[in-house]
Amino acid sequence: MTITPLTTVETIREKFPQAVVETTDFRDEQTIVLKPEALVPVCAYLQKRLQYNFLSTITAVDWLERVPRYDVVYQLLSLPNQSVLRLKIRVGEKGEEHPSVLTVTGIWPAANWYEREVYDLFGITFEGHPDLRRILMPMDWTTHPLRKDYPLSGFDLPEPHWGGQIPYDVDPGVGSQTLRTPEGRELNESRSKLNREQEPGTPRQ
Amino acid sequence: MQQQELETYSTIEDSEPIDERQRVDTMTINMGPQHPSTHGVLRLILTIEGETVVKAVPDIGFLHTGIEKTAESKSYHQALVLTDRMDYLAPLCNNLGYSLAVEKLLGIEDEINDKIKYARVLLTELQRIASHLVWLGTHALDLGAQSVFLYCFRERELILDVFEYVSGVRMMTSYICPGGLQADLPPGFDQKVRAFTDIFPARLQEYHDLLTNNQLWLERTKGIAVLDAQDAIAYGASGPVLRGSGVAWDTRKAFPYSGYEQFDFDIPVGSNGDVYDRYLVRMLEMEQSLNIVNQALEGMPTGRYRVANPKIAPPPKWQLTGSMEALIHHFKLYTEGYRPPKGEVFVRTESPKGELGFYIVSDGSARPYRMHVRAPSFANLEALPLMVEGRFLSDVVAAIGSIDIVLGEVDR
Repeated sequence: MTITPLTTVETIREKFPQAVVETTDFRDEQTIVLKPEALVPVCAYLQKRLQYNFLSTITAVDWLERVPRYDVVYQLLSLPNQSVLRLKIRVGEKGEEHPSVLTVTGIWPAANWYEREVYDLFGITFEGHPDLRRILMPMDWTTHPLRKDYPLSGFDLPEPHWGGQIPYDVDPGVGSQTLRTPEGRELNESRSKLNREQEPGTPRQ
Repeated sequence: MQQQELETYSTIEDSEPIDERQRVDTMTINMGPQHPSTHGVLRLILTIEGETVVKAVPDIGFLHTGIEKTAESKSYHQALVLTDRMDYLAPLCNNLGYSLAVEKLLGIEDEINDKIKYARVLLTELQRIASHLVWLGTHALDLGAQSVFLYCFRERELILDVFEYVSGVRMMTSYICPGGLQADLPPGFDQKVRAFTDIFPARLQEYHDLLTNNQLWLERTKGIAVLDAQDAIAYGASGPVLRGSGVAWDTRKAFPYSGYEQFDFDIPVGSNGDVYDRYLVRMLEMEQSLNIVNQALEGMPTGRYRVANPKIAPPPKWQLTGSMEALIHHFKLYTEGYRPPKGEVFVRTESPKGELGFYIVSDGSARPYRMHVRAPSFANLEALPLMVEGRFLSDVVAAIGSIDIVLGEVDR
């Protein structure tokens, strides 16, 4: 039997009747919405039995007002059958700061970096991930920029506002708190404390 | 005399007791982000034991510009120019991927005529050659063949001339847009393209003469940084990296888009998955791309360069002074843009680096609710540790060159 997106959806509906929340078909693209706890068994089945051996990408979508708040989206591709499929799970209960999803790195090693990216930009954690660190943002970043409640221009930067780099004339070993420019201006002041008329980075009048 | 010296030397070395601790001592070194052979701002944290790489950890994000976040605040038409800046060596291929995704979201795929399709294919194939030329030049430069670099950039300039001729810009063209092309192909376009296609076969042969059978080149590339087919698929590698490992997969063949089913071309495939095979695959791809360019140029149909739908494509300038409706459409389009229906699409295209995917979610408004880019370099880079671990330090440079990463796309 040839495997096409439509037959895949049928097979998953038959094999995992409890797992499927809904399936959608938009512009001939098949999407299966799964319950979060069923993700790993379904993925393993798709990879082993239905030859979905290529994970194109994992990403997330933040629906700010909705509960559960996030969609985690998996784009799958089957090289032997030239078939594509999209899986989706919905996570993030009200007030849950870091929703947790089970990792699929055991099924597709490619998931490693994609899950790190989703963690970095959305703050969704992946249980069982071998190396869940930030990947695109700096390591000492504290927020998750692709969330919808994150303003486009960013928040006021945390102290120190240059992101912890050692500027100018400071001995790196000491970790001095009073950092100054060569002209003697103190650097460790946040932008919010600056005079409103003053352009950040210019000397005080 | 010489024999004697050699003997003395060898006895000294043999007599020295081997320090067991030194044998397992490893050193961690930092490669990049300011390193010419990392092709941008890639940082590698390498643990080496002598000359051998034990562990390689890529550190990315130095060029993170938040393109996905920015796109959410732009209209569909404005977000197009962001895509140029991702894979800055192949902006037209990014434009095409984005345009196809938006067109699919709008449901106007059937309105795209053959003229638009052919022009798009022609330009993206030229772009593929240009991208591969930059790859070849820099890759060869990394491995010590300096003259190839100059030759490649000489030929690339001719392609950029074509882009400048059609769009006015050499690199960040944004020429392919949702609904067609930004402007019609100018008269004399085919001569410009011919100026390149006529000389390129001979030039390509020149590169082959310089490298393909060059003993130095073979020793630096054969059997180096091997990635077998199974790992390549498991790690999501695509494009020439996947094909170099012996998997005949090309999105242009598997899911033909933009009329690729009308063109006759082959997929070059390697067998060993080493640096040399990836090199050869790209060299042969340039030949195939040239072939497609010629076919597209010969069969170029006539027709509109943009869809007739006034809700998506702006009316011609001359209509604005005479037609009230044209003026309204123009105003609506540039103040607000168009509103695709609620839904989501993921469109795969074959960029020079591999499978480029655009995932766009629409909530029915005039701005993309979410745009995610499946960047081929991102996945190819993820497989880099597999290639270099257990190999010599100097092979790392060859491996990075052979996967052809563009950090603008990795970090987005």
